[in-house]
Amino acid sequence: MLRLPPLRRRSGGTFAALAAFFTVVFMLLGIGGASALSVPAPAAAGTAVQHTGVEGKKFAIATDTTFAPFEFRDGSGNLVGIDMDLLNAIAKSQGFEVDIKSLGFDAALQALQSNQVAGVIAGMSITDERKKIFDFSDPYFDSGVQMAVAKNDDAIKTYADLKGKSVTAKRGSEGETFAKSIAGKYGFTVKALADSATMYDDVKAGNSVAVFDDYPVLAYGVSQNNGLKIVTEKEQGSSYGFAVNKGQNQDLLKAFDTGLAELKANGEYDLILDTYLAKTEVTEQGSFFQLVADSFPALMKGLWLTMVATVLSLAIALVLGVLFGFFKVSESKIMRGIATTYVSIFRGTPLLVQAFFFYFGLPQMTGQPINVLTAGVITLSLNAGAYMTEIVRGGIQSVDPGQLEASRSLGLSYVTSMRRVVVPQAVKIMTPSFINQFVITLKDTSLLAVIGFAELTYQGQQIYASNFRTGETLLIVAALYFIVISILTQLSNVLDRKFNK
Amino acid sequence: MSTAKISVRGLKKSFGSNEVLKGMDVDIAEGEVVCVIGPSGSGKSTFLRCLNKLEDITGGTVTVNGIDLTEPKVDLNAVRQNIGMVFQHFNLFPHMSVLQNIMLAPVELKKLDKAAARAKGMELLKRVGLSEKADARPASLSGGQKQRVAIARALAMNPGIMLFDEATSALDPEMVGEVLQVIRDLAAEGMTMVVVTHEMGFAREVADRVIFMDAGVICEEGSPEAIFSNAAQPRLQEFLAKVL
Ligand SMILES: Nc1ncnc2c1ncn2[C@@H]1O[C@H](COP(=O)(O)OP(=O)(O)OP(=O)(O)O)[C@@H](O)[C@H]1O
Ligand SMILES: [Mg+2]
Repeated sequence: MLRLPPLRRRSGGTFAALAAFFTVVFMLLGIGGASALSVPAPAAAGTAVQHTGVEGKKFAIATDTTFAPFEFRDGSGNLVGIDMDLLNAIAKSQGFEVDIKSLGFDAALQALQSNQVAGVIAGMSITDERKKIFDFSDPYFDSGVQMAVAKNDDAIKTYADLKGKSVTAKRGSEGETFAKSIAGKYGFTVKALADSATMYDDVKAGNSVAVFDDYPVLAYGVSQNNGLKIVTEKEQGSSYGFAVNKGQNQDLLKAFDTGLAELKANGEYDLILDTYLAKTEVTEQGSFFQLVADSFPALMKGLWLTMVATVLSLAIALVLGVLFGFFKVSESKIMRGIATTYVSIFRGTPLLVQAFFFYFGLPQMTGQPINVLTAGVITLSLNAGAYMTEIVRGGIQSVDPGQLEASRSLGLSYVTSMRRVVVPQAVKIMTPSFINQFVITLKDTSLLAVIGFAELTYQGQQIYASNFRTGETLLIVAALYFIVISILTQLSNVLDRKFNK
Repeated sequence: MSTAKISVRGLKKSFGSNEVLKGMDVDIAEGEVVCVIGPSGSGKSTFLRCLNKLEDITGGTVTVNGIDLTEPKVDLNAVRQNIGMVFQHFNLFPHMSVLQNIMLAPVELKKLDKAAARAKGMELLKRVGLSEKADARPASLSGGQKQRVAIARALAMNPGIMLFDEATSALDPEMVGEVLQVIRDLAAEGMTMVVVTHEMGFAREVADRVIFMDAGVICEEGSPEAIFSNAAQPRLQEFLAKVL
């Protein structure tokens, strides 16, 4: 069979023109039914797909959620940006597939270390520190740090103006390193935040007077009307690289380097960069209703996942709650001990820590990767199960013990007595607490945004990360939660009244 | 083995370190009506609850219909089907209708099919004079009506023995009579009964034998005549002086 070299979007240099020429030739040959001429295309074309051992494979690659212009969601919710376009182009030319996991920067690195993903591309600077745990590709972008302030701020023009003030930078980024390196000299303090949109909001809200961020990120943000202006020149250039775990996935790393060299040679590399960085015109922001309309599809996707996670988690939590609730009222010390231990562990630790543990910690300890929905549902169901246990225990114990005695005195077994006499009365008592737990669990799903579960809050973050309209977007997200919870609460109350008269 | 329906030997019961029953010996014959009287806290309820093993027995034996309840392998559910119990606070099931309360045990224990259990329930309600309340919820009944339903419920499995624990103590005075009448009728039909009561007049009237308990032991027992008219024990005299 003929293997065709990948189609290029547009020819930039002579090399690309050559490739396009061969593409056409081989396509014609293919259509001409010249299958007898099964000359291996790569060898002939010169833009060879070498046998790098990655062809036909699919790799999970983690990335940031909010690092425009390297990765962000466009209007229709697709992940785009320099990193994405480069990676996709390289994957295509090297014949492998990628499964992009948009997790956030810290989470992406954790996912890589716990082998949840094969590599990370997230506008990550190549540093000596990181080289100790990761292997980096050839640099694919040369960055540098700039300082930006609020658009209407005329007081801060140089580092010297920062004396006694507070600035912000992205946690673990070059910007933070640079800001800290001059903080002593100019007498300001540095506050680290997790993503660009948050930092820009911090500056606009006046909590910080300036932000230190990578120049492409700042430039893109300003072009999107993020309310800031750049006031300094580019400092301390660093290089971005694609990373794999040290000593692992070397095939993938080699394929990346080969593909990158090809893209640079054929001009496609410059084309991709220009798409995001050469844009100079300032885009106008649409109306609030335009924002609602634009973000609606992505938010509905998120709301659906929120509901899926809530329903799955509550169903499992109910089973756990009933099981351990009965353990708690049983006569066996061992059973009571098991239930008490379970409840105290999950009530005594923060949900966020539990989510991190099940998504990052456990896979690292067991070597068994886990998908984000599974990890999220495990977290929420174990957590809600602990509260359900207490609800069930409380419900059973609030039924007059004389009820069980009367039933047992008739000759009915413990199980029958529970089923026919105690539980029906307990359920009636427990129903309001169940509804309450339902609402709590639904809201708790928003915490799963931090492990990259694409539920409603996460979708909201994605939207304001690229349009910088944080307040309005969060209002829409909050309104959606409010509406859904109000409807479900009303519905539960109606059902409660109907069945628990 | 005695021919008694209920035979209690050296019965002891402790709650933790508090010994409430300190060794009781009683035989109750088929068809006998035994009333248990005594001061509050003397252990009357505890004694009664040992007879169907609602309480774990600390020492001694309780034999009902020839079955020793303290044997580890005894089928308590089967034993209890033959012993009806009526509680001071009725303990009706509030989420079921009056008729459902009565039908629950026969249906769950597969003793009767639904239709037969319903017929049985209606017959028992008629017997306690509450036919028209079959579909009512317990909450809508008066105290006396509740206790009559509770008695009907306890009779649903055709028990050979009935236990009453102060069945009228929680009732307004004007309702005591209707409940006592039902118990009186049962006595007349020859039911074996152990009745813990504060109604001395009633005990005197229906009892074949009266047991006076004090501080976890049987202090005195005998015919109503012997107990109420010829009390020998000073403690019994003191008790009777207070309640009569
Ligand atoms: N479940 C229990 N746990 C601990 N102590 C108990 C328990 N049930 C009863 N007792 C104690 O046992 C003693 C006897 O109680 P019991 O209820 O048998 O007395 P009683 O003769 O029925 O009194 P009353 O006339 O007030 O009903 C009391 O001191 C009581 O506090
Ligand atoms: Mg009592």
